[in-house]
Amino acid sequence: MSGGHGEHSDTPCSEVLDKLYTYIDGELEERNCEQIRLHLDGCSPCLEEYGLDEAVKKLVAKHCGCDPVPMDLRDKVLGRLARARTEQVAKEAGVEAPGAPA
Amino acid sequence: MEQGQETAEERDERFERDVLPFLDQLYSAALRMTRNPADAEDLVQETFAKAFGSFHQFKQGTNLKAWLYRILTNTFINSYRKKQREPKQAGTEDVEDWQLAQAASHTAAGLKSAEAEALEHLPDSDVKRALQELPEDFRIAVYLADVEGFAYKEVAEIMGTPIGTVMSRLHRGRRQLRSHLEEYAAERGFLPARAAAAAGIASGTSAGAGQDGSDRGDLR
Repeated sequence: MSGGHGEHSDTPCSEVLDKLYTYIDGELEERNCEQIRLHLDGCSPCLEEYGLDEAVKKLVAKHCGCDPVPMDLRDKVLGRLARARTEQVAKEAGVEAPGAPA
Repeated sequence: MEQGQETAEERDERFERDVLPFLDQLYSAALRMTRNPADAEDLVQETFAKAFGSFHQFKQGTNLKAWLYRILTNTFINSYRKKQREPKQAGTEDVEDWQLAQAASHTAAGLKSAEAEALEHLPDSDVKRALQELPEDFRIAVYLADVEGFAYKEVAEIMGTPIGTVMSRLHRGRRQLRSHLEEYAAERGFLPARAAAAAGIASGTSAGAGQDGSDRGDLR
């Protein structure tokens, strides 16, 4: 085939749209990526669809992952870990040393 | 003890050094899963306690973050999902005919960049709300992929499902999420009438379309 740039590729829109998320996620094989790129170059409706899906993905990434953490949560977790550790140490120490002061 | 050459003390240190820094991230994830701060705090604590308890089983050099998220997800599914008793997700299938939605999008070409821009102006709370309105499995898949940047394979391992199921959940989840955002943007007057109408069409295609709605079958 003559590889005219910007030429509408042979790939039908439905197939491109079907693979769009996989493409955006970087999970599409390179061979198929080329196909998608070629199509997007020549098909503005698909290109705009791509732009919108990518925008939504970025929005989610930007807004949904950084909530202020309650100040005392860290302490609660540390407290819980300390308890677990103490139990563990007590278990292990129990073998060597006759713990209990009375 | 089966932990090899590392002493318990050293392991504890390693835990604090490597695992504790995930606290903030895990809290956000927990908040998206449970959808309320009190449960999210409990979930995070429980996750750390479990991770601590089984840290000797974690193979150094493998993916610590994925390991933690797996514990988080399992803990959520086992302890909180039942408790929360989500109402059966009516409308899950609604937006499913994405082919149709996409056909509609095609006719609305030319509005898209304006639309993308409108969505970008939505406040933080709208984006969170849009995600929180997704059915649980979709919500978790989208969160893991889009916020945490996990690869499909990792999401599959974390959620304990085949990759095909992950892809399907992502596809459906993102479709729904996008149409929620379009609705909010229309409500706020960010979208011009035509785009809003197009968004309406996209989210209202259920009528004649529901041939399958198949993904629900894999819900436990």
